[in-house]
Order: sequence, then structure tokens, then C-alpha cells
Amino acid sequence: MLEIKNLHARIGDREILKGLSLTVKPGEVHAIMGPNGAGKSTLSYILAGKDDYEITEGEVLLNGQSILELSPNERSVAGLFLAFQYPIEIPGVATMTFLKAALNSHRKAKGQDELTTPEFMKLVKGVAEKLNITSDMLKRPVNVGFSGGEKKRAEIMQMALLQPSICILDETDSGLDIDALKVVSEGVNALRSPDRAFVVITHYQRLLDHIVPDIVHVLSDGRIVRTGGPELALDLEKNGYAAYVADAAA
Amino acid sequence: MVATPVRTPAEQALAARYPAERTSLPGTADVIAIRDAAFGGVDKSGLPHRRVEDWKYTDLRARLKTFPPAAGAADVARLLIAAPAVEGDKARRLVIANGRYRPELSDLDGLEHGLSIFSLATALEAGDATVLAALKLEDGVATNTAVALNTAFMTDGLVITVADGAEIGRPVELVHIAEGEPAASTAVRHLVTVGKGSRLTLIETIESLDTVAHHSNVMTALEVGDGAKVDHIRLQLEPDEAVSLTSLVAKIGREASFDTFNAALGAGLARAQIFAEFVGRDSRAGFRGITMLSGRRHADTTLFLVHGAENCQSRELYKAVIDDEARSAFAGRIAVPAHAQKTDARMMTASLLLSEEAEADAKPELEIFADDVQCGHGATCGAIDDDLLFYLLSRGIPKAEAESMLILAFLGEAIDEIQNQAVHDALIHRVEGWLKARAA
Repeated sequence: MLEIKNLHARIGDREILKGLSLTVKPGEVHAIMGPNGAGKSTLSYILAGKDDYEITEGEVLLNGQSILELSPNERSVAGLFLAFQYPIEIPGVATMTFLKAALNSHRKAKGQDELTTPEFMKLVKGVAEKLNITSDMLKRPVNVGFSGGEKKRAEIMQMALLQPSICILDETDSGLDIDALKVVSEGVNALRSPDRAFVVITHYQRLLDHIVPDIVHVLSDGRIVRTGGPELALDLEKNGYAAYVADAAA
Repeated sequence: MVATPVRTPAEQALAARYPAERTSLPGTADVIAIRDAAFGGVDKSGLPHRRVEDWKYTDLRARLKTFPPAAGAADVARLLIAAPAVEGDKARRLVIANGRYRPELSDLDGLEHGLSIFSLATALEAGDATVLAALKLEDGVATNTAVALNTAFMTDGLVITVADGAEIGRPVELVHIAEGEPAASTAVRHLVTVGKGSRLTLIETIESLDTVAHHSNVMTALEVGDGAKVDHIRLQLEPDEAVSLTSLVAKIGREASFDTFNAALGAGLARAQIFAEFVGRDSRAGFRGITMLSGRRHADTTLFLVHGAENCQSRELYKAVIDDEARSAFAGRIAVPAHAQKTDARMMTASLLLSEEAEADAKPELEIFADDVQCGHGATCGAIDDDLLFYLLSRGIPKAEAESMLILAFLGEAIDEIQNQAVHDALIHRVEGWLKARAA
């Protein structure tokens, strides 16, 4: 489903990813853990297509298709979704207008007709309800005036509406209290399916209690330095990243 | 040796036109005297250029290539089939075609009690004392080139009076249309007096049926009486070839409420001037507008506001979207004399540049002589925010559509202040049309 092969990327003179490889199969949930500055957020932005980075080597395949030449919107309609660590506030753009534009772009790419307004409303309301997203939130501009938890729930709502095949969750647990974490995790778990995969990027084990991964990777200094099962996350929580930071530096 | 300034072709055309036309323009000898004085000033100083501070960003001398002849009569058949600029606003449309009020094309049925409408040309011919008095302007306004040219060449316009206490529910729309070829000039003056405690929504549209270099000069002198509420909206919609000069001169009485909005959507060279003054205390006013430019168009918004009375509040918000090699200029000057304590004024201008060659100039100025005031100004200028754009793209929205959403959001802050729903919707429709054309 998602294959990252020997990916090297830099911003300015600084190399951030130094030969990162990762293969994610349909239905799997991968967790990527790692210390600050390891390149976790860079990885998520590069996958989504932010053009602040220069890719110097390697490739990324989504369902067999190379995506590095695709624009961010083309990647989105190809089935990639990034849940932002810090969802962007967009004053003046109504949430519903935004959701409709996004959904219709996906439908158009698939050769489907645009949804009628009642169809669209029904769809959004159904998804929003499950994530405790009130109609008041839907009436506001995109993410404007949302709390940290509301923003993360809104991200999951977008994910649920767009039905991506690969979901990248960038520190979705940051800024969430226990209750919000539960709602968000339930939202994600509800989307788990044999033909959809997740890459969950996080600092902490906490999120992985709720979204249980199949495979855990440690990312340090721009590379995957260790891969294991869910028990690896527990080990990291207990012993920290010190051993991996030292390994990477050595 | 005395240097004789070289007259530009436009200045030569003006110098030739005025003496030939002065006596055939409407008005008594008194009116001719007022016209002579106005023209004399322009003739003497020539067209303003960039070293004249008020015209720093809009060098009229360099930019006005010609000054076309006065417009002839418009073809009524074409006017009759022209689609209105604003649909569904239920406004009372008053048509000014090629600089002449056309009552036969205007909606004068069932005039509300307290609303009177008549032709300026008729009043000038009759030497109407009130109208003559209203033509006399303060020095700073009278000598402004666009105003002086308007005074010299005005052919007609409307004299609109709303009696004290009259609430005119139906908006009054002044429809300015230029029709025909070749290019011609028009100068139209409106005098609008809104009595004490009265209400009026005044809409102005300025358009042309032909894509030729018409020059239009529209000036509206507006008196907002004590306790009155006036909403003024102008949609300036001429084709790229046109030159459009507009001036609004507003006097705002005590405990009054006044809003004016200018949408600069047309003309290759446009200047919208506002000369406003609070003449009574405890009033409020909103000055807002949008400018959308592409190609090599140039639009200037110049606001002179005198906060001349105590405890008045004003908000100024002007937003410009500039693409290609177009250029937008904003100059806003707020003067607060020593007696105008408790003045509260906030002026903001923001420009969104959509290309490397686009240019925005902003010159906000505050002249404050009172000590107990709250006055602020801000100016921003920038490109579309990459982070906002990336977020929209990351959800599958194509770039052109995402940019359009962000541009509309940027302008929306100003547009959403328009109270009249039909005009608001008509403007949004125009903005969307502009965005579609850009995205195509």
C-alpha cells in the first residue's frame, strides 16, 4: 500500500531524512515513535507533499504509484490523508464550504457526480455526530475558535468523510485530554478496515493504548533504527529514547 | 527665463474643450462662474502628477493619455435591454446615461412620502439657490482635480432629498451607464440630502455597455442629517479600457450612522475619493471597500476623513487583491482636531498580491490634535499564506480552487459588512466571476 524506499530529504543545508524505508500493507497500523527532531513531522509533511523540503534520493509509492511528483491535492485524491499535528485555522472559509469542496474534489477525481446539498449535509452530520462535533462547530470557519481537542476531532471527521486508503496521523494525541483522546481514538478505530492502513506518529505510548498498532518503529536521526511489535512501545515508554539517540549518533 | 510647462495631450484636450462647451453646459451665469473658477484651477496647475502628494501613487498627468469629447445622447434601445448590475434588490433605479438623467428609463412610480428626486441640470438652469449653495465646496475639496473637473463639466445628476423623519425602505439606485462609441467623457454630480432621523440606502453602479476608453467622473455630495442612518454602496464596474473617477463628499451630522462601501472592480484607471467629515457629535461611520485588479489596471482609493466632532467612532477597512502587473494604491488620512475628544478611529488596509509583479501602495496617516482619543491604523501586504493553501490542497482541493477560496475569505471580511443582502450577493457573484476567470 505505502512503500517508502531509502528516502533522503533536506531543508536548506540540513538533511533531515537520511535513508528512511518503510513498507505498510493494507489493514496494518504502524506506529512511528521517536525523540524530538528525529524527522517525524518532516516525514508526514513530505508524504503529504509540502514543498518546503528537497527530496534528494529515494521514492514513495502509494498503491504502486510514485507520488513524489504529485501535488498535495493529487496525493489526497489518490488516497493519502494527513491528520495535522497543528490543524490550520482558516478565517473566512466556512467549514461546510471547505468540506464540500474537498469531498467534491475527491468525487470528481473518481468520476462521480457532486453530492447534492441534502446528501452532503446528511453525510457530514452522520460523521460529525459520532465525533461529538456540534452543528455550532460546523457553522464556524475552518478550525477557527476550536479548542485543541476540537481541532483533532475535526481532522478525524475529514478523514472519515474522505475515506482515504492511507492515513498519516501526526501527533494526533498532542494537546488532547483523556476524554478527547478516547473520542479521537474511537473515531480512528472505527475507520480501521482490511483495505485501509494507518501510520501513527507519536511521542508517547499513551495513544497506542487506544489505537493498538501492529508494528512499532523507532525513528531517530532521519532513519528507522528499530522495528518491533507493540511491546516496543512499552519498552520505549519505560526506558526512553536514549539508547536509540546514542545508536544513531554513533 | 520662465519655463513653460509642456501640456500633455489630455491637458490640451481639456483646454480646448472647456471654452467651447462652457456656455452650452447647463446653468445660469452663476453656475458658469462656479465652473470657470473650477476649470481655471485645473488649467493653471495642469493635471496632478506624482510630486503632488495627494496624487503620489496615481500620476494623472502621466496616466491620462487623452480626454475624450463629451458624450452624446445614449441609444435608448440598447439601454432598455441592458441587464441590471444588481438583480433582485428591489431598488428604485434612476438611470443616468451618458451623463444625463433619463426619467423615462427610471422608476419614479409611487415615490415614498418625503422622498424627492429631480434633475440637477434642471436645477442649474433654473439657478436654484439651494443647489447653487450646495455646489460651493471647501477649498481642499473644490480644488481637487477630479472634483474641479466634475464641477467644470457636470452635465446632470440627481438632486435627492429625504425629508426629516422619512424612512425610505426601498433602496435608491443610481445607475450610471456609458453607451456608444467612440470613447466619450461624462461628468455627473449628485446632491443627496438626508434629513434628521431619516433613513436611506443609496446604491450607485457605474458601468459601460461598450469596451472603449470612456472617462466617467461621478461625484456624490451627501449630507447625513442628525440622527439619520445612511448606507451607501458603490459598484464600479467599467471595462478595462475605461477611466473612472469618483468622489464622495459626506457630511455626517450628530448621532448619525453612515456606512459607505466601494467595490473597485472595473476600469483600467480608477480613483475613488472620499472626503468625509463628522460635523456633529456622537456619530458613527464605516468606510469600507474592496479592489480587485488584474492585467495592468490601476486603482486608487483615497480617503480624507475629518473627525470634526466629539465622541465619534469610525472604522475603515479596505482590501485589495492584485494580480498580474496591476497596481493598487490606498491613502487614508484621518484628521482629529483638538476639540474632537473621545474620537475612536481604526483604519486598516490589507493587500493580497497574487503575482510577483503586482504592486500595492498604502499610506495611512493620522493627524491628531486632541489628547483623549483612540486612533489606530494598520497596513498589511502579502501573498497567499502557504500554510493555509497547503491545508486546503492536502484535502484534495485543486490549487486554483483553493486560492479562490482564500481570496474570497480575504475579501469577505469587508464584503460581509454590506447590510443590503441583494447588493452583497451581487458583489459576491462578481467576485466569484473574477476568480473563475483567473482560475481558467
